[in-house]
Amino acid sequence: MTALASPSEAGLRVLLPTTAGEVRDALLDTAGSRPRIGVRGTGTADAWATPAGPVDVEVDAEVATTELRGVLRYNPADMTMAVRAGTPLAEVQEEVGRHGQRVAFDPARAALGATVGGLLATADGGPARHAQGTLRDLVIGVTVVLGDGTVARSGGHVIKNVAGYDLAKLFSGSFGTLGVVAEVVLRLHPLPRASATVAVPVEPAQAHDVGDRIVGAGLEPSALELCDDRLLVRFDGTPEGVARRAKAVAAAVERPVQEAADTDWATVAATALGEPGDTVLRLGTLPSAGPGTLAALPTAGLDTALSSTVMSGVHTLRLRGGSPAAHAEVLRAAHAAVGPACTVLRRDGLPADAPAWGPPPRSVAVLRAVKQRFDPTGRFPAARLAPWLDPEGVRA
Amino acid sequence: MLSQLRSALVDAVGVDGVLDEPSALRSYECDGLTGYRVTPAYVVLPRTAAAVAAAVTACARHGVPFVARGAGTGLSGGALPVADGVVISLQRLRRIVEIDPVNRRAVVEPGVTNLDITKAVAPHGLYFAPDPSSQQVCTIGGNVAENSGGAHCLKYGFTVHHVHSVDVVLPDGTPTTLGGESELAEGPDLLGAFIGSEGTLGVVTSVTVKLLPRPAAVQTLVADFDSVEAAGATVTAIIGAGIVPAAVEMMDTLAIEAVEAAVEAGYTKGVAAALIVELDGPAEEVATQLAEVETLCRDHGTTAVTRTADPAERARIWKGRKAAFAAVGRISPNYFVQDGVVPRTRLTEALTRIGELADEAGLRVANVFHAGDGNLHPLVLYNEAAGEHDRAEHLSSSIAELCVDLGGSLSGEHGIGTDKACSMTRQYGQDDLDTMKRLRAAYDPAGVCNPGKLFPTPRLCGERPGPYHPHPLESAGLIERM
Amino acid sequence: MTEVVPTGAFDAHRPPSRELLDDCVHCGFCLPTCPTYQLTGEEMESPRGRIYLMDLASRGEIELDDAFGAHMDSCLGCLACVTTCPSGVQYDKLIESVRPQVERQIPRAVPDGLFRRLIFALFPYPRRLRLAALGGLAYQRLGLRALLRRLGVLDRLPARLRALEALLPPVTLRALFAKGAQHTPAAGETRLTVGMMPGCAQRVFFGDVNAATVRVLTAEGCDVRVPQDDQCCGALSVHAGREEDGLARARATIAMFERPGIAELDVIVANVAGCGSTLKEYGHLLADDPAWAERAAAFSAKVKDVSELLAGLARRAPRHPVATTVAYHDACHLANAQGVRNAPREVLRAIPGLEIAEVAEAELCCGSAGVYNLVQPEAAEDLGRRKADHLAATTPDVVATANAGCLLQIRRFLDAGIPVVHPIQLVDASIRGVEPVPTSRRRTG
Repeated sequence: MTALASPSEAGLRVLLPTTAGEVRDALLDTAGSRPRIGVRGTGTADAWATPAGPVDVEVDAEVATTELRGVLRYNPADMTMAVRAGTPLAEVQEEVGRHGQRVAFDPARAALGATVGGLLATADGGPARHAQGTLRDLVIGVTVVLGDGTVARSGGHVIKNVAGYDLAKLFSGSFGTLGVVAEVVLRLHPLPRASATVAVPVEPAQAHDVGDRIVGAGLEPSALELCDDRLLVRFDGTPEGVARRAKAVAAAVERPVQEAADTDWATVAATALGEPGDTVLRLGTLPSAGPGTLAALPTAGLDTALSSTVMSGVHTLRLRGGSPAAHAEVLRAAHAAVGPACTVLRRDGLPADAPAWGPPPRSVAVLRAVKQRFDPTGRFPAARLAPWLDPEGVRA
Repeated sequence: MLSQLRSALVDAVGVDGVLDEPSALRSYECDGLTGYRVTPAYVVLPRTAAAVAAAVTACARHGVPFVARGAGTGLSGGALPVADGVVISLQRLRRIVEIDPVNRRAVVEPGVTNLDITKAVAPHGLYFAPDPSSQQVCTIGGNVAENSGGAHCLKYGFTVHHVHSVDVVLPDGTPTTLGGESELAEGPDLLGAFIGSEGTLGVVTSVTVKLLPRPAAVQTLVADFDSVEAAGATVTAIIGAGIVPAAVEMMDTLAIEAVEAAVEAGYTKGVAAALIVELDGPAEEVATQLAEVETLCRDHGTTAVTRTADPAERARIWKGRKAAFAAVGRISPNYFVQDGVVPRTRLTEALTRIGELADEAGLRVANVFHAGDGNLHPLVLYNEAAGEHDRAEHLSSSIAELCVDLGGSLSGEHGIGTDKACSMTRQYGQDDLDTMKRLRAAYDPAGVCNPGKLFPTPRLCGERPGPYHPHPLESAGLIERM
Repeated sequence: MTEVVPTGAFDAHRPPSRELLDDCVHCGFCLPTCPTYQLTGEEMESPRGRIYLMDLASRGEIELDDAFGAHMDSCLGCLACVTTCPSGVQYDKLIESVRPQVERQIPRAVPDGLFRRLIFALFPYPRRLRLAALGGLAYQRLGLRALLRRLGVLDRLPARLRALEALLPPVTLRALFAKGAQHTPAAGETRLTVGMMPGCAQRVFFGDVNAATVRVLTAEGCDVRVPQDDQCCGALSVHAGREEDGLARARATIAMFERPGIAELDVIVANVAGCGSTLKEYGHLLADDPAWAERAAAFSAKVKDVSELLAGLARRAPRHPVATTVAYHDACHLANAQGVRNAPREVLRAIPGLEIAEVAEAELCCGSAGVYNLVQPEAAEDLGRRKADHLAATTPDVVATANAGCLLQIRRFLDAGIPVVHPIQLVDASIRGVEPVPTSRRRTG
């Protein structure tokens, strides 16, 4: 293990393991002296689900995964790759891209250096969600380290695998509350031979209907993303096939269709990332209910940007300008409308006391039981899932 | 004590929902894996989710273990009863509750068969993608428990990719819902971890499934080869060319012999290997891909290629493939079917090694498998009456463990259940298994929900992992190392 | 001398064969096709479950008790499972060997036994059946039925008697006493010499179907011989496990056809699916009887359903158009037991202007199943209504099915406005250029 970084200003000890074994050692070493552990990758999701303030320093040490990188096993012919969890997704894409393959997953944070482990722990997603889901659907094996130093594997290196429980799913969306994700095995897909995007200008209220027609016409877009007032439709496949499918969109939707601009996909990413001062929310709805739910949010007077994975009902909304109270109103309305299906990706524009999460899912009792079993001594403070895991604030 | 349980069960599901006659109880003593049989104390058949919850509560209150059962077609003994325990059959929860074509989802009860979902939504041009070979009889509840795949999972994934949410009765009788109304994650993916948990974490009472529109074009191709190696090389080439077929299946000589005896699907008898490749998607893409696939087949020496888009012909091809397991009953009095997975690049090696193991054991093995993802289904043929049972069982688990040794998995689809529990230590370390058990403990601290499945108990599996016969006390959940 | 094989709980007389039992691999593909499984969801009410019980009994692990008997009795014998089974399990042979065991070994409750004796004292005897039908006619025409219905008596009858009552079809006095000719020569040159079973319930209640069958056959160049004896082929008995009874009738039927001379007959034709399937089985049923085995085999080899016969003949008589939508119901003993599905459809399609409607759950039994609808009336009613609903949902002009039992069962549950006929009646109408069903009986609207 490389030398520990010197303690930060707040007295936080940062641990920099380079292997799963070193993660285990770090946790064992700190069990008595620094029991409460936070996990952090490259910090691209620092803003995600940040709890309402004021926030005490709730951890004694941080396991930073920035040195926990590298490819463990990659056989291009098998189309699977095992990597250490601190490896940035962008690096993985570059490596497999050299062999004509990719991870079919495109979250906006990837460009900022987000790590595979961090992306899994936050259950992030991008426009590829439409056809491929998110990382949860692409991880076929995982190695995690629990608070007591237990190193546990589930899954393996093959796509088809039902032996044992799938711990990767459990850790997906766990925000570092169950343990440290140390290694991940990914399923890969071939890079498409050709790709093309067209744009259909739409009123947001019609986005779902229009998207439905494209899907119903059997054109199988790989992404169907509303970007403010344009529906971006991407096709992957053979050059002739892609061209013909792109041409077929106009007839399917009975509207004029434009070529997409290079900047269109960048705009989608920018909406998700936001800028300092912004509030960014991600909401989940029944796909057909998306337009109505979004339209009912009290966003009047705010500068908004919206990107929706239309047929999945996942919407990313960026709020800018206006007062913190106005932002808080939107958040409150979102919680009222979609309950637990609202993640705060950035809270700069919200007042400090705005809650990061709405009402918990119905299964929250199970969630707490799982937390209790995986982390009985509370080494991983509930932190960003505290409102659900630890509403009374018993175990910080 | 048992009579108190009985009256609690009668209260829960009504008197016509409780079976306790010896002939009835014996009828439920095994599922599709007949090598293991245990007689339960009661079988209950609730008609509603509330009745399921009441039945589970009754069991929990009396500390009696229970096992949920769908159509009983599982191949790993996942529905094997616990001695003196209760079997909860979900076969009377069979309604299609709601179809939402606009959002492409449907809400169904767990006893609905996989194929019936597709039939029900077909008028809307939709279907349910996971298609296990037993889909005309297996239930969606069972599919959720096993994370079932099927021939088309190469492109379309497994049950876990096609379920939005499930209503579950937890092992203490509390109902809950896993998964949300939307596709956005709501904290840790409990639903994803539940799917494939083999009935050990609770009983499903409702499933909200994801539906897909039927692809615009489908083409199916069957190519004969002189050797399994050539067929396997072809598959590697197809995947390497960046094509993702909807399905790639292979059958060897013995399997084809059985299939043709059963259904006359039109496969070439005597050929070393038959490759089935199905491509689907937009018409433009399918046409191009089909031509490429055919070229690759010829490049690798195919001796005959037929291709068809005709629904009736396609149905015949698939009927043959899907009937393969049961059809083997025509060329052998008994058989075990295995479900190991190997990395696709080691497929040929695995088949060669299986052939060697079979020769050593003096038994025949027919091979049917999902060539696209390396999931093998070796069918170990034997004659019980000739005393070949133990030899066959040993060969069967050797094959499963071979797959692990080649970097794969014990099970791609059928689950661990009873059959492969003892082999789990070959694939996972003790820490791995102990960590998984934490999840089980979170759901089922009392250990009443399908105990004795999935995890080995070293005391009973013996030093050498082998065929697993649950000790009655262990089956009753009274002894187990958790 | 064959080795004595232990038979467990079964007695030594033709127990279910161990080899046949071992064919079942417990895969469960039969479950969705089994009507009783669909109705109850109980494993013992499925083919797989029944085979499992037979297997346990054969090993002596369970007794032949009331529960065992009940699960065997509730089997319709529709044989949809045989059609579906990928392992080729011969469930038909299994259930046929077990039913007699049930009859011999499991005592029936007195009312059950009496009722069955009543049925078997009546249905296989056309003369008695005719008398009973006369009584029934009087009961209907003299307003007794209407009176009993108004008084609510019918509803209070035990289910089985209610079933018996409800199945009485409307018949005319003339139809009851119409007699067919013993010999009808072919129209034009004789292509085939054909023998035909007039049946029991068939000749009493569906004499017009027999008449139509003879007309069609002769129009197609067949010389038709119809023995006039009151001889039952034994199907009802065989299917109910009354083995001695059934075999005796089989022998008598064979002997009856030996009088005109089997060698003279090219084909023995059946127009009742239930009878036809048993006639084809005589060879198997009498295989153990040295005096009859060869004759029975020769006999069975000549048996064809009338649709099979017609489909195999080049059409001679021109067909006039019959503009009708037909909902065709596959009788289980034609489709599953005899494997005849295409022939009736081919024969119907040869009629210009006739359309065949696809029926949902086509493979599901209508619940008639021999005497099933009399002895298991509740289950039969569930199935009968389900079948009738599916048939009516196709909005047909007419429903057609090739079996007397199905005709009675479907007619009972179908909307009164939709006529139910035998397919041969449509062919007959087409050849004669008449309406298949008098317009007055057609559904209006």
